[in-house]
Amino acid sequence: MEADTGLPHRTWWTPYLFLAPGLAMVLLFSLWPFVNTVILSFTDARILRGGGFVGLDNYRRAFADPDFWVATGNSVLYLLVVVPCLVLLPLALAVLVQARIPGIGFFRSAFYTPVIASAVVVGLIWQWVLRSDGLVNTVFQRLRLVSEPVPFLTDSTMLLVSAMIVTVWKGLGYYMVFYLAALGNVPDSLHEAAAIDGAGPVRRFFSITVPQVKPMMLLVGTLSAISALRVFTEIYILGGESGGPGGGARTLPFLIRQVGLGFSGETGYASAISILLFLLTLVFSLLGRRLTKGDEG
Amino acid sequence: MTRSNPTRTAVAALVAGALLSATACGLGGAGTGDAEEAERTGRVAGEITFRTLQLKPTFTGYVQAVIDAFEKEHPEVEVKWEDVPGDGYNEKLVADAQAGALPDVVNLSTDSFQLLGDRGMLADVAKLDGDSAKEYVPGAWEQFKLPGRGDSVYAYPWYVTPEILTYNRELFERSGLDPAAPPTSVEQFFDYAEQIAARSGGQYSAFMADPKGRLPGDWQKMGVPLLSPQKDRFTFDTDKAVEWVERMKDLYAKGAMPKESLLKSDDINQLYGGGKLVFGPGSPGFVKDIKQNAPQVYAKTQVAGAVTGRLGHIGIYAQSLGIRKDTKHPDAAAEFAKWVTNGPNQVEFSRKATIYPSNAQGLADPFFADRGDGKDAETLARAVGAEQLKTAALDANTPVQWTNQVGDAVVREVQKAITGEQDARTAVKKAEEAANRLLADAART
Repeated sequence: MEADTGLPHRTWWTPYLFLAPGLAMVLLFSLWPFVNTVILSFTDARILRGGGFVGLDNYRRAFADPDFWVATGNSVLYLLVVVPCLVLLPLALAVLVQARIPGIGFFRSAFYTPVIASAVVVGLIWQWVLRSDGLVNTVFQRLRLVSEPVPFLTDSTMLLVSAMIVTVWKGLGYYMVFYLAALGNVPDSLHEAAAIDGAGPVRRFFSITVPQVKPMMLLVGTLSAISALRVFTEIYILGGESGGPGGGARTLPFLIRQVGLGFSGETGYASAISILLFLLTLVFSLLGRRLTKGDEG
Repeated sequence: MTRSNPTRTAVAALVAGALLSATACGLGGAGTGDAEEAERTGRVAGEITFRTLQLKPTFTGYVQAVIDAFEKEHPEVEVKWEDVPGDGYNEKLVADAQAGALPDVVNLSTDSFQLLGDRGMLADVAKLDGDSAKEYVPGAWEQFKLPGRGDSVYAYPWYVTPEILTYNRELFERSGLDPAAPPTSVEQFFDYAEQIAARSGGQYSAFMADPKGRLPGDWQKMGVPLLSPQKDRFTFDTDKAVEWVERMKDLYAKGAMPKESLLKSDDINQLYGGGKLVFGPGSPGFVKDIKQNAPQVYAKTQVAGAVTGRLGHIGIYAQSLGIRKDTKHPDAAAEFAKWVTNGPNQVEFSRKATIYPSNAQGLADPFFADRGDGKDAETLARAVGAEQLKTAALDANTPVQWTNQVGDAVVREVQKAITGEQDARTAVKKAEEAANRLLADAART
């Protein structure tokens, strides 16, 4: 029996009324574009031209397209290099700035600054640092470490490495905050007990800190893997609109944009590559989830 | 109370229906390509929409005055003016075309003209208004024909910007070159660049490496045939094109171009304005910018006619006014477009912006022949540009087949050759194969 709340009589659908606006937005701006992308991936649609059903042709084309494999290779390489860096370096940074010493707030803020800076601004700063006549090359040449400028931005492999450095640099402060939260939850008593037992700082880090923040490390790993697979801006700003010389540093999002954009954009093919990227992301997300579950279990 | 099965079914049906109807929209691609072409009735009346590209607020007064004068001349016409920012202009056009909502009179750049014209979304203004051809400078009217469409013309020529040559006189002299003898062919341009690289000692460069900024213009100037006579196949894999790539590679290695400019990540205005580049952008508007932003370099800036090569062609950037194919008021739209592009209105516009009239009467105005004392670069640029428009063959039309994707594919192969990843002949061969593959894909859909 329902208690008399004094409010007008509620029906079963009343809560759904409150959910409806949000649901409508999700359907319109998240679910529908996704469904549409799936549908488009089976068509030969182009900008301004509705497409006909072509079955799996776009997927077959992708698997036979050298550009697709270059982009996939770059995206996966990006992930394999960037994720370990973004799991470990912010943790080290968080441990350093966790110390309660005067002025530490400044360092925490300073390390967080790249996070709030626009990706375009960050890209431009790094462009001036890494270009042939930029800061790094000038220093290297003055110190006679190199005779010719290092082609950080004009060689595909170096460009990819440069973009990874920028991604890691920009992500450090972001994930550092995650770890600071996790470190705050590690009971001091554990460290104190270990110290009494004679454990030094390194031993305490590996025996107490790391196990305690492991769930957070797995979360950071999953999040940074998803981000790594979505990298576009760094490559675009550092390597121009062709994605490095000959397009050799293009990642999957870069290829999707290149294929699908412009008046001659192939919407159908770009959608198929988007779905393949989605599946790749899903695989890594599920992998992360599985690892997390294993840890919790 | 529990949900009944009929309710669930209704909700599911509603969602499915919404998805299916939206799917139909997504795949349908409405557009006006299949629409009936409007025909003139002889009555200049009705409400028409006029869309411009980023003219507010700088030119609000000018455009509104042109509209007001037209409405006064034709009291039965009401012109609704809408101005759209430059960013995303083409995307908005595409969206409107898909929705069947193109304005009656619309400002088109070269690429949007080609796209909408090729898709059959613009009215044939030669049919609507055949006598207009003689009012424009020779060649301007021709720019708005499309391959395979006979004498049909799909837009009224509006303002144009011709290519010119700008260079830093001081750096030219320091490189042992005569400022009074600028290059006139692509080959000579490369020879000069080689000498600049040899003399500069790395202090400055000759020009930007970005192949996208030079192709296909350079190849056309060198007489490289871009397309087969039937225009169904790219044919630029020639010795001349290979020679172009080899020279670019050689000059890049010798430091004739800033390294990062290969990827278009450098700003040409900034480099030229900083005295780091001998050849600046080839546009008269740029001279005005450099006058404002880098007066010291402006004082050393010299202008000359564009490199034309063996065909005597110059590149032009042309704006036009298209008429929506199925406009409800073809008479009002055509008369209005002709009004905006008439001589006096175009001259007035040219006095407010660094542009040139496509209208013959307008271009004959003494304003464009004035060379001043022959020393001021901005005045000279205006005169040189106008002279070229009257005499050189105009080459605004990068062929419609040379789409962005084709351009990107060609540039990628050329970039690999310039950095030494592959040889020039392979690069040109692969570029042509990629371009033809894209052309064939486009023809299939």
